Amino acid sequence: MSKIVIGQYIPGNSILHQLDPRAKLLFVFFFFFLIFLANNTATYLVLYLFVITIILLSQIRLSLFLRSIKPVLFIILFTVILHLILTKGGEALFVTPLFTIYEEGVRQAIFIASRFLILVVMASLLTFTTSSLDLTDALEILMGPLRKVRVPVHELALMMSIALRFIPTLWEETEKIMNAQLARGANLDSGNIFKRLVAYIPIFIPLFLSSFRRAEELAMAMEARAYRGGVGRTKYRMLQYTYKDYFLIVIFLILVLVIGWLRV
Amino acid sequence: MVSYSSSQTRKLVLLSVLTAIALLMQYLNFPLPLFPSFLKIDFSEIPALIGAFLFGPISGVVIELLKNVLHFLLSGSETGAIPLGQIANFIAGSLFVVTSVWISRKINGIKGMIIGTAIATILMTVLLTIANYYVIFPLYSYLINWTVTGEAKDALIFYGVAPFNLLKGVLLGLLFIPLYQKLFPILSMQVKR
Repeated sequence: MSKIVIGQYIPGNSILHQLDPRAKLLFVFFFFFLIFLANNTATYLVLYLFVITIILLSQIRLSLFLRSIKPVLFIILFTVILHLILTKGGEALFVTPLFTIYEEGVRQAIFIASRFLILVVMASLLTFTTSSLDLTDALEILMGPLRKVRVPVHELALMMSIALRFIPTLWEETEKIMNAQLARGANLDSGNIFKRLVAYIPIFIPLFLSSFRRAEELAMAMEARAYRGGVGRTKYRMLQYTYKDYFLIVIFLILVLVIGWLRV
Repeated sequence: MVSYSSSQTRKLVLLSVLTAIALLMQYLNFPLPLFPSFLKIDFSEIPALIGAFLFGPISGVVIELLKNVLHFLLSGSETGAIPLGQIANFIAGSLFVVTSVWISRKINGIKGMIIGTAIATILMTVLLTIANYYVIFPLYSYLINWTVTGEAKDALIFYGVAPFNLLKGVLLGLLFIPLYQKLFPILSMQVKR
């Protein structure tokens, strides 16, 4: 089984790493809406230019981005093929007995593929340059107003941090258990779906038991440190906006103006 | 929230760990033979079901919610700022978890769990087919110019999505019931201590 990449923070000291996680989260959120405004070659070129610039600024290896594109490659190809075959308009570029590829189809296919690529790259840029702890911290603060309607924001954010912290540990554990059961002659990859299902039970049981034990230990450690909810809890690391974060607003406004001006 | 009892801390941590397992399982998805390959099956509902059976349906919904929020934060979504896939997953998962727990609590024993997961499966299939037909597919076609309409859409929903959800529910039930029978005596002891 291949290694899964989640929570793929890459430590560094680039300008993107230094930005406040709240600012980054908000920027990416609004950027996702901005992508949908792009609808012609010029606007997509602007977006590409912007994304390439920040990739360079992030000082993160290009191969890592390629790795994060891989999981969505299928859906990209699927929509591209769909557009090539089904979208009509413009000149016929390529005629086969089964289908015809039109100019408009090619255009739409390229645009959609670009949109996917930019979305994925932006999302990975956020997770590459922001540690998952910072992300949940930012989320907790940004969701703060929801506390007014009795949403337990602090608890939910803490749960996300704990979950993120446990993923690598549990992944290792899962691999260990699988290897142990394989060594005992478990057969996970053959047989019909029901046989495979049954084969997974001996993996799930130790996984759940050991994770409950880990949870127990953590709960005990938290109690020993007198954890009692979010009220009045102070933070070790305080988030502080700097001029760089305000500069993001300027960049965003420029992008909106340029794309609003260039789009059809 | 003045008194924060130790059982609350324990519950909070247990639900977090179950969320982590759910997220892990969501990443370990695999396509089923004979189905379009964007319909992938995963067992991320199992931890939510366990949480719901131990602490009540709300806990199951919380696990489903956090799982999808984290999934969105960690891998984004093909539909941009509106995470359509994650929202659909959240609704389907919550529906399944809440229904099966609710019915299992009315009818005691293994019979209740079988009936519960069966009804949950049917309910999930029916409601998701409706949601796909009227909301999710149109939204997808709007957001990513996905041009599946007319006969192709009907075929994809009635021969793809609907049987897929049905099969997913059945598989979840088949996996969850024996798992829970084995785990419950140990887990409930740990939780109630």
